[in-house]
Amino acid sequence: MPEVDFTVEVCGMAGDGTIAAGGLINEAMSHGGFSVLGFDSYPAEIRGFGRCVTNSRIGSNEIVALGEKTHALISLNDEQSRSRTPSLAEHSLVFFDSNPPAYVPEDNSLLSVLPPGAQVFGIPFGALAVGASGASRGRNLTALGGFAAVTGVDPNLFRKVIRDKFKAKGDRVVDINVKSFDAGYEYALEKFSDRLKSIFSKIETDHDPKKVMLSGNQAIGMAAIDAGLKLYFGYPITPATPIMEYLAKYLPERGGRVVQMEDEISSIGAVLGSFYAGTRSMTATSGPGFALMTELITHGVMAEIPAVILDAQRGGPATGLPTKTEQSDLHAAVFGGPGDSARIVIAPTDVEECYHFVIRSFQLAEKYQTPVIVLTDFFLDNRVENRPLIRAMEGQAASWNVFPDEAFKDHYQRYADTPSGISPRALPGMEGFNFTATGLEHTEKGSPDYSPENHAKMSEKRHRKLRYALKDLEKPAEFFASDHLDVGVIGWGSTFGSVLEAVEKSRKNGFKVGALKVTSIFPYHSETIGAFMAKSKRVLVPELNYEGQLANLIAHLDSKPVDRLNFVTGTPIPPSAIQSRIEELLGVLA
Amino acid sequence: MKTPARVLADQVNQIQKSGRFSPRSASLPTWCPGCGYFGIHQGLNDCISSLGIPLTQIVTVSGIGCAGRYPFFSKTYGLHTVHGRALPAATGVKLGNPNLTVFAVGGDGDGLAIGGGHLPHIARRNIDVNYLLFDNSIYGLTKGQPSPSSPMGTKTKASPYGTIDKPLNATLMALAYGASFVARLFAGDPKGITEALIEGIRNPGFSIFHIYTTCVTFDKNFKTWAHLKKWTHALPQDYDPTDLGRAFNEVLKDDFSLGVIFKRDA
Repeated sequence: MPEVDFTVEVCGMAGDGTIAAGGLINEAMSHGGFSVLGFDSYPAEIRGFGRCVTNSRIGSNEIVALGEKTHALISLNDEQSRSRTPSLAEHSLVFFDSNPPAYVPEDNSLLSVLPPGAQVFGIPFGALAVGASGASRGRNLTALGGFAAVTGVDPNLFRKVIRDKFKAKGDRVVDINVKSFDAGYEYALEKFSDRLKSIFSKIETDHDPKKVMLSGNQAIGMAAIDAGLKLYFGYPITPATPIMEYLAKYLPERGGRVVQMEDEISSIGAVLGSFYAGTRSMTATSGPGFALMTELITHGVMAEIPAVILDAQRGGPATGLPTKTEQSDLHAAVFGGPGDSARIVIAPTDVEECYHFVIRSFQLAEKYQTPVIVLTDFFLDNRVENRPLIRAMEGQAASWNVFPDEAFKDHYQRYADTPSGISPRALPGMEGFNFTATGLEHTEKGSPDYSPENHAKMSEKRHRKLRYALKDLEKPAEFFASDHLDVGVIGWGSTFGSVLEAVEKSRKNGFKVGALKVTSIFPYHSETIGAFMAKSKRVLVPELNYEGQLANLIAHLDSKPVDRLNFVTGTPIPPSAIQSRIEELLGVLA
Repeated sequence: MKTPARVLADQVNQIQKSGRFSPRSASLPTWCPGCGYFGIHQGLNDCISSLGIPLTQIVTVSGIGCAGRYPFFSKTYGLHTVHGRALPAATGVKLGNPNLTVFAVGGDGDGLAIGGGHLPHIARRNIDVNYLLFDNSIYGLTKGQPSPSSPMGTKTKASPYGTIDKPLNATLMALAYGASFVARLFAGDPKGITEALIEGIRNPGFSIFHIYTTCVTFDKNFKTWAHLKKWTHALPQDYDPTDLGRAFNEVLKDDFSLGVIFKRDA
């Protein structure tokens, strides 16, 4: 059976309908039974002269990373699309408007910069759209029609997703949009009849109707609702805002509410307050907002109050690169804030894990009575994947609260020093368990106490609790497990997909390479990670940050130095870069 | 022989002696002898006792400062947060469990400086939190620096040549922020505090109690007992607290009239 691994980009100016077109490609190909991973990049300036690009990688096998070489480029604006040509594959297909809405000087034309061998398809997108619908707004759909005709996509797939997208706007809108698509489709079918490809038409795929197209942000929002979230407190910040917007729409129908707070400090303050009162709540933010939260996060550690904080990382430091991706908040998440304030940090690596990890974060926060930080990043939050998504089973999101035994009524010790370090937690309203939660160092009873013995004892208790939490934290997963490896690659977060693809390709080239996926960032499974490092002749940790923040965290687990591959480009690490580095290391070994 | 009434009276006496329903905790307050906070403590405790709110149904939330320690001196549930953040935490507690009665307590540094950004927002959201602002115009716990409500020219170790900033007026701010219940009170009048609290708790939204109080250790010049006793007085006889325009005028005209300044008609 022939395989497909095809990447298509749509590029235009803000306002060209670029993102919508890319979304329709993802949906249509998902309905066609393909595995899809899509990622949009859009400008930080909403009304600026920004470039919009969508990248969709479509495969007959499971896709885990972004496409590196573009096999088809759909240009809605030639000047902007010029920037996309360096990533074009050989013999790529290029669709452009042969009758563009604005005059493009010849020196600025897309055609002048295309690599030799590119196959160009000029289609009058705007004119066809006007003919079909009376307005040129549908030119992005006309372009999709041309793309579908030339690549051999069943036009009914596009017609279906166009209908689904516009059905809320009424039959007329659906009709003119389908007509715009058809105009492009028919034009291309006839005009390029001798150049049509059958890239998608001959592929058989196992269509799984349970597969849903979801972004990381949507999965996070769904998980929060399925976990019984009642309150969301947040402050707008890219790229975490879509989570707030998703919940603002869907939480009220589940009896919950979203409160847009005055800043990130009050957001985490209110999250702590509501968990203290026994109600599940959360906040989501990005680096700059996370920095503001750190004091109250350590208050949660000290006063032993649960909290769920999602940090959707973006490029930093300071305001940094709001719409670019990076994994540079790991140190801040693990160590940020005053004092010895160990907290739980977990990091999903794909959209499906976003869902399951967010549900688990509420339970971990309740049981271990400490803030739980879920680290995602711009790429993971905004990429879409079609995966079979299993919604939480009944009871899967059940409370993990540990309440005090009735026997302790009237002589309750809120911070009792137990073997596990977990002190049963009472909630306001419980008769006979009144206590004051405090961020001051305190006795088991909860009274402020700065004596040397007490601070030593209670610090030990809090850290013991965190060590104990490890048993509820997901173990690192080994891929292509083997007793000895020439190169062991350790990946985390959104980068792991690239790691997996790179390792798989290196193995196909005959190299003894393995991968370890680390999702529990703190506390971490030092024995499992250490053993993986020990059996690997070289250890490589690719990350989207300058220093190698995970590498710094785990380097001490083995005596040999860790090899780092650090990208600070604001874009995901391409699998080929990891593969090259692996094979470079192998060259050193040989 | 004891009459039934006598038996009942004895039982009430016993219960009162046991302190089971008294909000006062066994921990002695850490405030200096003569501190105005004792009067506020008494005023709030009397309010809780007289309304008969079960102590397990109350949460007292605080930030940092001398007033921040308040929850330890009360038998209610307590949440002692970090500097300036009592109001956001109280918002979370109240929304998390609306059946609870929530008090937020804090000083002028906590509430007007570091936490000053939260006051407008809890007021405009009208969250049912009762906020007691202990305003002694000084940072006491850090040993005497000027606060946002210190008058111009205040001399401290941190301002040896006198402050040059204009003071904030918390009552005026609360009115401007749209708080639905605003009272101005004096720590030397616990009874007045109790009465205003009893009325304010019934307000189903955000209530602020701006309480003038002393720092007997670090302020010998401005909000002393002698001054506050001399300066403070009741609101005019014909005062109508439902008239917001009049409330503004009153507060602009007179810094020291006490009572319920404003309550929004239900």
